[in-house]
Amino acid sequence: MSIAVNINGKEYQGQAGQTVMEVAKANDIYIPHFCWHPGLSVAGVCRFCMVAVEGRPKLEIACNLPLADGMKIHTNNAEVKEAHKWALEFHLINHPLDCPICDQAGECGLQDYYMEVGKYPSQMRADKVLKPKALDVGTDLVLDTERCILCSRCVRFEEEVTKTSALGIFDRGDRSIIGTYKDKKIDHDYTTNLVDICPVGAFTSKDFRFQKRVWFTEEVASVCPGCSTGCAVELAFNRKLHRYYRVKPRSSEVNGEWMCNFGRTIYGHLNIEKRLLTSQVWDDDSYQATDTPLVLAQLHDKLTRAKSIGLLVSCQYMSEEYRSLFDYFAKLNAGIWEWRSESEDRTAFDGILMRGDRNANSEGFAQELQTLGLQSRGGFDDFCANSFDVAIVLAPELLTTFTNVEQQLQQLQSLPFVSMWSCSSDMLERSYAQLVAMRCFIEKMGSFTNHAGNVQALPQAIAPLNENCIDVSAAVAVLESSGQKGAHASAN
Amino acid sequence: MESLTKITTAFEGIANSRALACYEQHDGYQALRKALALSPAEVIQQVKDSGLRGRGGAGFPTGLKWSFVPQDYKGNKYLVCNNDEGEPGTFKDRYICELSPHMLVEGMIISAYAIGAGKGYIYTRYEFFDEIEWLQTAIAEAYQAGYLGKDILGSGFSFDLDHYAGAGAYICGEETGLLSSLEGKKGQPKLKPPFPAVSGYLGCPTIVNNTETLATVPWIINNGAAAHRAIGTEKSAGTKLFCISGHVQKPGVYELPLGYPFMKFLQEDAGGMADGLQLKGCIPGGASAPILTPAELQDLTLDYEALAAKGSMLGSGAVIIIDQRQSMVELLKVTVDFFHHESCGQCTPCREGTGWLASIMHNYSAGNKAKRADLDLMHAVSKQMMGKTICALSDAAAMPTMAIIAKYRQELEDFLEQGQKKQHEPFYQQQEQRGSA
Repeated sequence: MSIAVNINGKEYQGQAGQTVMEVAKANDIYIPHFCWHPGLSVAGVCRFCMVAVEGRPKLEIACNLPLADGMKIHTNNAEVKEAHKWALEFHLINHPLDCPICDQAGECGLQDYYMEVGKYPSQMRADKVLKPKALDVGTDLVLDTERCILCSRCVRFEEEVTKTSALGIFDRGDRSIIGTYKDKKIDHDYTTNLVDICPVGAFTSKDFRFQKRVWFTEEVASVCPGCSTGCAVELAFNRKLHRYYRVKPRSSEVNGEWMCNFGRTIYGHLNIEKRLLTSQVWDDDSYQATDTPLVLAQLHDKLTRAKSIGLLVSCQYMSEEYRSLFDYFAKLNAGIWEWRSESEDRTAFDGILMRGDRNANSEGFAQELQTLGLQSRGGFDDFCANSFDVAIVLAPELLTTFTNVEQQLQQLQSLPFVSMWSCSSDMLERSYAQLVAMRCFIEKMGSFTNHAGNVQALPQAIAPLNENCIDVSAAVAVLESSGQKGAHASAN
Repeated sequence: MESLTKITTAFEGIANSRALACYEQHDGYQALRKALALSPAEVIQQVKDSGLRGRGGAGFPTGLKWSFVPQDYKGNKYLVCNNDEGEPGTFKDRYICELSPHMLVEGMIISAYAIGAGKGYIYTRYEFFDEIEWLQTAIAEAYQAGYLGKDILGSGFSFDLDHYAGAGAYICGEETGLLSSLEGKKGQPKLKPPFPAVSGYLGCPTIVNNTETLATVPWIINNGAAAHRAIGTEKSAGTKLFCISGHVQKPGVYELPLGYPFMKFLQEDAGGMADGLQLKGCIPGGASAPILTPAELQDLTLDYEALAAKGSMLGSGAVIIIDQRQSMVELLKVTVDFFHHESCGQCTPCREGTGWLASIMHNYSAGNKAKRADLDLMHAVSKQMMGKTICALSDAAAMPTMAIIAKYRQELEDFLEQGQKKQHEPFYQQQEQRGSA
C-alpha cells in the first residue's frame, strides 16, 4: 500500500511498513544517524535522527517512525537542528579528539557531521571517560573502545548477519564498553564489514590501517571477481601512485551491504609489483620483453603452421572476451579445456555470500561455449594428457583461488610451446615460450555472469597500466589482423 | 482521624496474615471465584470503570492497558508483575508482600484471566530476600489449593505463575527493561513501538503491572467498580500507598485516598517534622519527581493531577521530606550520581548526559573550578536529555536536576561564594552541634 508523506513541505510516496528514515534515504533527504544501518535491525539508540512530526508533542527518531498517511515531517527546522546539535555534543563529550592519528579520519561519521554543522568548542570541561585502546580482537581487526560511540551496529552484525555473537556491550551508563565475550575472538569470513559499518574509528582493519589516508584515495566502482556471487565493490585507488589499498562493498541487490574477507584481498594483484607489465618471449635462457603485437604475431605464425592447437582457459575472464576467443579458435579447430581448481567444491555456499566456485564467470564461460555449439573437452589433467604443437593458456587472474596452481604452472612448462596469457608477474619465474601481458578486471569493460545467471556489467574503471597490457578480445583482434596482413602479404 | 478505606493494607494488624488460611478467612480468593464467573471482557470493563491507574509511577489507566492486548492473538500471552521497586524512597510493594502476598497472587490470576494470559511472572528486586521467600511460599500454597495451575476452580482457565528475582538494577523497574531482564538479556529498555501489550516478553503480548495495581484488583471485583471510583478524586480514583521518609515523626507506609491533602498527611498522619526541624522541601514521588518547595506544598493534594499541575509527579508515592539541614548541593549531587550509576547506557543523551551532570556536580561540590555558569550548563544539558530517549530514565535524571537548580539556585550559588565548609558540614557534625546546644 502506498502512503503519502510530506517531508519538509514536499510530497513523497512510501510503502506501508517503511520508516521515515527509509523514505528519506530513498529520496536523498539526509537525516543524520549513527546506529541505523540499512542491513541491520533498528536499535534506535544513538538518538541522532530526530525529526519533528506535526501534531506530535516530542521529536521522534526517524529510524523507528512508521509511515502514517498524511504525516508531515520536518528534518531541518529550528527545533530539529537544536536536537541534532546536542546529539552531536553528547556523542563528542567522551569521544577522544585524536582525529589526526585516527585511521577513520576523512570517513568518520562523527567528524563529517561536526564539520558540517558543528565547528564550535565543546562545553565539556570535565575529564573524559577513559577506556582501553588498541585491542587485538581477531585476525583482521583492532578495537579502540574509547572511540566507540556504542551505536551497537557491530553487535547487531555479529548477531544477525554472521550469527557469531562474539561482541557485546558491557557495563552500564557512560562506563559502557564494547568488547568480545570471554575467550571469544572475532574470527570469521566477514570480519572486515565491522570496520565498514563502524561509524567511527573504533574498529580498524589491520590490512588497511595506517596504509593510506582516505582523502588520498578515490573510490572506484567494480564487481568482485573473487567468486561466482559477484558482489558490488569499490576499490580505494591512488591515481598518482597507481596503487590500490582496499576493497569495500557497495550496496546492491546481489550482496546487500556486505562482502566477505576473501573479496577484500582481491586488490593486491592489481598493484604494479605484482603485474606483468610487458609481454615476453623466451629466448634461450631468459625472457626478452617484447611489444605485445610482436608476441602475438609470433603466436599467429606458430598457429598457422600448427597441426594441433589446445586452449586451456580459466573462468575468470569476461563473457565478451570468451566470445571473441572461442569464435576465433573454433575456426582453427582448436580444442578448449576448462581450467579449474582441483580442490574446489563448486556448489558450496556459506549461507551468506561466499560460494565454492571461486571463479567470477563460470556461467559466462559455459554460455559462450554453448552459443557457438562448442564443448569443454575436460579439465587441466585432460589437457596435459594431450600433446599440442601450440598450447594457449588463459591463466586465472586470481592465482590464489587455485589451491595447487604452483604445481600446475610447473607442469605446463613441459609442454613444447606455451603462449601464457596472464596479468601476473609470477609468470616471470616460469619458462614458457611466450607471455602475453593481460589487463586486470578493473581495466577492462565487459561482464561477468554470476551463479544466479545475473549479468553484471563492469566498466573500464581504470586505464590500463600501459599499452602492452591488453584484454583477450584485443589480443584476438591482433591475431585476426595478423592473419589478414599475412594473407595480404602472400597475395602480393 | 476519620477511618479510611484500606484496600492493599487491609491485612495491617492481622496476625499471620501472609498464610493462605488467614487470607481465605478474610474472604481471600472470593474475588477470583466472582471473576471466573464473568467473561474476561467483563472483568476488563470493571477495571476500566473502577478508574484504577498504574501505581508504579506513570499512572496509566490499567483497564485501558489491558485492552491493548490483541484479542485474536493465538499464541502465548504473559502477565508480569513489576515488583522491582527501585525508585529511591519507595518501599510500598514490599509492604504488600509482607502483609498479604496472596492478595497479589489473586490479583494476578484475575488479571491474567482478563487478558487471557496463560503464564505470569512476579519480578522482584534482588535485595528483597524475605519478600522473595514469602511470595514463593504464597505461590506454592496457591498451587496446592488449586488457585494456580490447570483448570482453576473448574473454570477451564489455566494459569501458571512463577517468581523471578532480578539482579538489582533500577532500570529493570522500567517495564521493557524488566522484560529484557526476564528474557535473560541485559536489562535494557526496548524500543517502542511495538509496545509490550503487542510484542513484549519473548515477542508475545505482555502486560506489565505494578504490584500495588495488581493487588488492588481483587478489591475492585469484590466491591465493584463504583465503590472504587467513590474513593479519591474524579480522575484519580482509589487509594494509594504513600511511603513517607526523611526527618518526620512517623515515617512509613500509609494507605490514603487519592486527593488527600499533603499537609494533613505530613502533620497528622506522619506526625509532623521531627525534632522541631523546618520543612525545606519535599520530593513527592520518588527521586525522579521534581522537588517542591514548602510554599508549593501548602495547598497540595496527593493525586496525579494536582502534582502534575505543580510540575512534579505522584510517581510511586515516595514522599521524601527534606529538612533545613539538608545541603541542596549534596542533594543534587546524590541525585545525579544515582542516575549516572543507573543509566543503562543505551541511548546517547542519557548515557553521556547523566555522566556529564555527575562530573559537573562532582567538581561543583568539591569547589573544583566551579562556576555559576555550571548551573546554567547543567540546566541546558538536562533540558536536552528530556524526551529524547527510549525510556524515561533520562527524563527522570533531568527533571529533578532542573527543579533543584531552579528552586534552590540561591543556595547553590551561595555555596560557591561561601566555600564548601559552611554549607557542607558533614551530617554527624551538625547532629553533634544540635546535641550540645
